[in-house]
Amino acid sequence: MDPAAPKPKENMGKPLPRIDARLKVTGQAHYPADLPTANIAYGALATSSIAKGKVTALHLDDARAVPGLLDIVTYGDMDNIEKPKFGNSGATSIGPLHDKTIFHDGQIIALAVAETFEAAEEAAQLIRADYEEDKPTASFDSPGAITVPAAGKSPMYKEDVKAGDFDGAYAAAAVKIDERYSTPTQHHNPIELFSTTALWQGDQLIVHEPSQNVTGWKVELARQLKVDPGQVRIVSPFIGGAFGSKGPMTPRTAIVAIAARRLGRPVRCVTSRMQAFGTQTYRAETRHRIRIGAGKDGHIIAFSHEGWEVTSRPDLYVVGGTSATGRMYDYGSVLTHVSVVQTDRNTPGYMRSPPETPYVYALENAMDEMAWALGMDPVEFRRINEPKIEPIGKKPFSSRSLIQCYDQAAKAFGWAGRDPKVGAMRDGDWLVGMGCATAIYPTNVAPCAARVRLTSDGEVRVQCGSHEIGTGVRTVAGQMASERLGIGFEKISVEMGDSSLPPAPVSGGSISTASVCSAVLKACDAIRAKLFTAATGEGGPLAGSHNEELEIVDGKIKAKGGASAKIEDVFKVMQVGAIEEYVEFAPKGATPEALKKLYAGTPEFHGGEQDEDSVKYAFGAEFVEVRINRYTREIRVPRIVGAFAAGRIMNTRTARSQLMGGMIWGIGQALHEATEIDSRYARYVNCDLQDYLVPVNADIKDLQVILVPEVDHAVNPAGVKGLGELGNVGTAAAVASAVYHATGKRIRDLPIRIEDLLA
Amino acid sequence: MSVEPKPRQPVVTSLKINKRSYDISLDTRTSLLDALRDHIGLTGTKKGCDHGQCGACTVLVDGKRVLSCLSFAVMNEGKDITTIEGLASRDGKLHPMQRAFIDHDAFQCGYCTPGQILSAIGCVNEGHAESEDDIREYMSGNICRCAAYPNIVAAVLQARDETKGA
Repeated sequence: MDPAAPKPKENMGKPLPRIDARLKVTGQAHYPADLPTANIAYGALATSSIAKGKVTALHLDDARAVPGLLDIVTYGDMDNIEKPKFGNSGATSIGPLHDKTIFHDGQIIALAVAETFEAAEEAAQLIRADYEEDKPTASFDSPGAITVPAAGKSPMYKEDVKAGDFDGAYAAAAVKIDERYSTPTQHHNPIELFSTTALWQGDQLIVHEPSQNVTGWKVELARQLKVDPGQVRIVSPFIGGAFGSKGPMTPRTAIVAIAARRLGRPVRCVTSRMQAFGTQTYRAETRHRIRIGAGKDGHIIAFSHEGWEVTSRPDLYVVGGTSATGRMYDYGSVLTHVSVVQTDRNTPGYMRSPPETPYVYALENAMDEMAWALGMDPVEFRRINEPKIEPIGKKPFSSRSLIQCYDQAAKAFGWAGRDPKVGAMRDGDWLVGMGCATAIYPTNVAPCAARVRLTSDGEVRVQCGSHEIGTGVRTVAGQMASERLGIGFEKISVEMGDSSLPPAPVSGGSISTASVCSAVLKACDAIRAKLFTAATGEGGPLAGSHNEELEIVDGKIKAKGGASAKIEDVFKVMQVGAIEEYVEFAPKGATPEALKKLYAGTPEFHGGEQDEDSVKYAFGAEFVEVRINRYTREIRVPRIVGAFAAGRIMNTRTARSQLMGGMIWGIGQALHEATEIDSRYARYVNCDLQDYLVPVNADIKDLQVILVPEVDHAVNPAGVKGLGELGNVGTAAAVASAVYHATGKRIRDLPIRIEDLLA
Repeated sequence: MSVEPKPRQPVVTSLKINKRSYDISLDTRTSLLDALRDHIGLTGTKKGCDHGQCGACTVLVDGKRVLSCLSFAVMNEGKDITTIEGLASRDGKLHPMQRAFIDHDAFQCGYCTPGQILSAIGCVNEGHAESEDDIREYMSGNICRCAAYPNIVAAVLQARDETKGA
């Protein structure tokens, strides 16, 4: 069997190939910077060479002398538009051309626009600034860093979760640890470069830009430009990787729009790989202190997680992963505290499982340490502390298949054959280690609209303003329509990535499949109801049957007794050529304003730990084998097994691919990825794909994904738990656990590099 | 040629791409990648770094894989250039490597895919697809941030025997 197309088990959909696969292998999938545009001008950014201070003068003469230069947009040129806002659709509140203050290295100081890309680049590089420079604060330990408790300071983080008497329980615990962990700065580095192409048609603006949030951007860009949202359209049919980086809109979008308006020509600006490090968002570095106390029997009685996260001066971006780590196990008592640390850096933002990647890494590394302190098998330690209800709100889990994941992954991995003693396993010159960790991700869902049309000849068109960032959401939306309407997948077309389509929420927080499929399901059910009513009504081909007894299979409506009617015959009875349904899906618990907020680009998220009835999470268990060369200390991960349960799996092929990609991201987080910062200048120094290490093909060998069947009707009508951000949670802790098993060295600061294992 | 080309001054360049000839006027600093994308309209070839570090811009030049962002367009006069748009036959039949990438779900977002496919064809032609380990090593110049690597290896294996000498 082809591992790429796992055989569906209970509650899993077919491994259909992606609906856009042919476009992607023939070069016909048009990403936003691909669209041919007549009379286009090219823009290139000039960025600051200091991290803190003021621009006192800008020298533009050399740039203006470049043949082909058309315009330079800089200070003063944005005065009549609104500054960006931080939050929801906005990456930062810094309006780089509104204010000569420099908040971070690599801040935009001008946009050069020219007839050719080459001339624009040349001009941008000739723009020089004079600065009044201050000493910048680079990171945690730099002078000038200001630590702020996160709770209550940011709408993104309401409270530090707690339960019971941690101090008392920890003091009384027979076995305890108190350790510190850290994770580095990371940049998303999707392979598609960030870009904006702006075209004005009269007072209508069309922006082609890779976006995970076309509706939110439309509203925010209209606000900045002081135009009606109806005048702005964001188009992003294919997105070349996102991972959170294309969720919030950056200030560049409005700058390019203004350039295009001034020039009366379309303008395209493709940001260089290096400039993206300072002009886009990133995952900020974090620090953690974890204390765990347990009885000698292995039951945890006290858990404390303190976190510190870097942010920018003006924007309190916080991820606050204690909300998940505080609910992971049956702790007894919980104490958490999250702080943000303000520095002279660009504002961080969402990056694949923003809270869980750093916080669950710290928790799971600590859990492994605790298992060693107890002399207990790490899988058994987790089994003992498996909760019946979550410890903070004392709510049940809507479903939780973590132990099934551990059992299946352990078996496939061969965990029982491990020699548990440190350094006991060897293969020639290679020290072998094995480790494991838990993956968790909150199951969110948001309001979503969709339009589905079925024509009498059995063609289906699905329209939804969601975003195909590589997840396969376009495929699974089509699959949902195909299953529900009984129409062959080849007769389905799906349009996404355009703010003129029915609005969908931001494609973040792993909500897209759940939200979009729930909306498509609702639209298809409305079409079914119309068809069934006509079929069973007077003069209908299935008159006398009841609607609830009908099914549609292969383009035919089938009644219980065996009678059937072709869909086209029902259309004849209805005397219509097409049935089209525009629906708005709102999840259980949605406020009365929920749908209005969807159109305003500020969708409500539900699920996770927010619902009254239960907490909703997807879980997984990951096992890795590491091999460390006894002489060079080179670290390899030749084998990794992950088992995951995430409710209804719409398509086993796309689900496996997402989880696989996540697991490889996890290996990257463990061993490769880190943005290095020169603390003297608060400057990123490895701003390219040669020096910012990501996993390549040769880093990955034997990888197995196990899809564990799970049914959960409480999460959303589609029964789907998002899994795009599940696979990379926990992986780095599993690697750290395996490194310890191989070497006896406990590495608490990521990434784990050769130098950490010398001596 | 005896005349020194002047930077910025456009020169007419003849490029043979996917068996078709194009005469275009280019700034001599124009990379083959930008010539393909911005001047000829073949945007299947992607820009991922413009530094020769990611492999997204890989095309075949005289059958060998080349990073089109690191090659000036004018250096490719008279050479046979193949891009992703030139792989399928006129009747729409996919090249075996394209078919294999679909069969094994060897992509997610699809952005690095044209470069991966051309690199894979080059890898097979070079004789560097004899084992899975070989494929992993010789396909490591093409970064896939979605990390479809195991599926890419499976796709190259499937298409290997059909694509030798393609």
